[in-house]
Amino acid sequence: MRHLALVFCLLAFTGAACGQDVAPKPQAPQDAKQVQAFKEFTELVQQYVELRKKLEASLPRLGSKEPQDKIVAHQQAFAQKIQEARARAKRGDIFAPKIAKEFRRLIRREFLGPKGPNARKTMRQGEPVKPFRLRVGDTYPETLPVTTMPPALLLKLPQLPEGVAYRIVGRDLVLQDVEASVIVDFIHEALPK
Amino acid sequence: MGRYLFILVVFVAELTLPVAAQNLTLPLKPDSVRFAVIGDTGTGGTAQYEVAQRIVEYRQKFPFDFVVMVGDNIYGGESPKDFQVKFEIPYKPLLDGGVKFYAALGNHDNVNQRSYKFFNMNGAQYYTFRKGNVRFFALDSNYMDPKQLAWLEQELKASGSDWKVCYFHHPLYSSGKKHGSATELRLLLEPIFVKYGVQVVFSGHEHVYERVKPQQGVQYFTEGASAKLMARSLQATSFKAAGFDTDYSFMLVEITGDELYFQTISRTGATVDSGVLRRPAQAQSTAPAPANSDSRMTLLPALRGLRGDSRLAEEPGPRRSPSNREEHSGHVSR
Repeated sequence: MRHLALVFCLLAFTGAACGQDVAPKPQAPQDAKQVQAFKEFTELVQQYVELRKKLEASLPRLGSKEPQDKIVAHQQAFAQKIQEARARAKRGDIFAPKIAKEFRRLIRREFLGPKGPNARKTMRQGEPVKPFRLRVGDTYPETLPVTTMPPALLLKLPQLPEGVAYRIVGRDLVLQDVEASVIVDFIHEALPK
Repeated sequence: MGRYLFILVVFVAELTLPVAAQNLTLPLKPDSVRFAVIGDTGTGGTAQYEVAQRIVEYRQKFPFDFVVMVGDNIYGGESPKDFQVKFEIPYKPLLDGGVKFYAALGNHDNVNQRSYKFFNMNGAQYYTFRKGNVRFFALDSNYMDPKQLAWLEQELKASGSDWKVCYFHHPLYSSGKKHGSATELRLLLEPIFVKYGVQVVFSGHEHVYERVKPQQGVQYFTEGASAKLMARSLQATSFKAAGFDTDYSFMLVEITGDELYFQTISRTGATVDSGVLRRPAQAQSTAPAPANSDSRMTLLPALRGLRGDSRLAEEPGPRRSPSNREEHSGHVSR
């Protein structure tokens, strides 16, 4: 009888294990300092996203099946709107010093830890992106490829709302507007050597 | 007289060579799902145009109605002119013939390609669509964030299709010298593929063709040589089953019932790899597939690595039934 109960327990456990999701979930910040910094970051990003929503709404709507000339025109017009609305934006507006410090700490820990070599391998897998001078408000050069974002790092960085994405350029971490291709902010030398 | 005879021989050879090269190993069964796979295409160079021409020729014998693009769809500039030269002109006969292209994004692709009408991404960076008994999942391997992983798991879980095919740019297994395997991505994606019974994965990025030995029951292909080539860059690895790195190539695939037939063809029209994969009984439901089993997909030895096999070449088949209707859904932004 005891054996039967054990078998049932085992089956129940196996079933539960099979039913579990296997896709890894975003990971929580390491400590209170990081929690606070990432909360502030998320709020600042949200403010930016609200702004871009307003700006995009003022443009002719881009459908999901468009000819390329319309896509290019939309991207350029959107970028221009963002550049005008954020004419005074500068580095550190979103990645404020306190926030940038916590990003650097997290990234350093990730890259110098056991998963670091894999993350670097991921980044090296693309064509090397020629370093270029980053400036808030500029657009990402259209002829350059993107560096593949290490997925393990994406699990740890604060999750971003629709419309913005992280990019890596050299050792810098960039916050980029996806549709307009505008550099919203960046952390210089966010990645360790 | 001798000179004229020589010219005549050369002329006849020119005429007959491409035709002779067009041996088809695919069965052309009624109601099958038929498609081509191309990767790393958007150069606008001679090789892209030559491969495109070969695809057009093969479509005469193998009427497929869609093409899967595994990324790097447009290299360099992305002006309207670039889209013409690097996509619309080389594939014009296919576009005119009603062939639909379903693109995944590579590291050279602007995210806004998702809104380009001929890439059928419907504004989504990663998306899924169904053709007959096959569900396709186009992923964005440049940015595999938790949102995309969760989306993939949900979609796979909900999919009741017999066949589940994923495609994205970076190969999880590659014997290529230049990039190699995307091991970090593999750690995240492979458990999902295994659990939800993904049978086949197509990637690009490495500018060669490669077929990998089934890994945990999943069959991986790399087709990144449809316009760019890293000649002689395949190395010996424990997982390489077949490879072709001396010329450009593309793939033709036919899925019918529990079988997937594939044929890889070079720029010159030579068949460089072909075979058939069988979906075994345990993968015929939505139940999770057993882990650590390489026997889930069976590569039938009769067709393994055949070169220029013409066994099935002359068997004409009807065009695919319109009952193989399509559903499409995706995630709009990252």
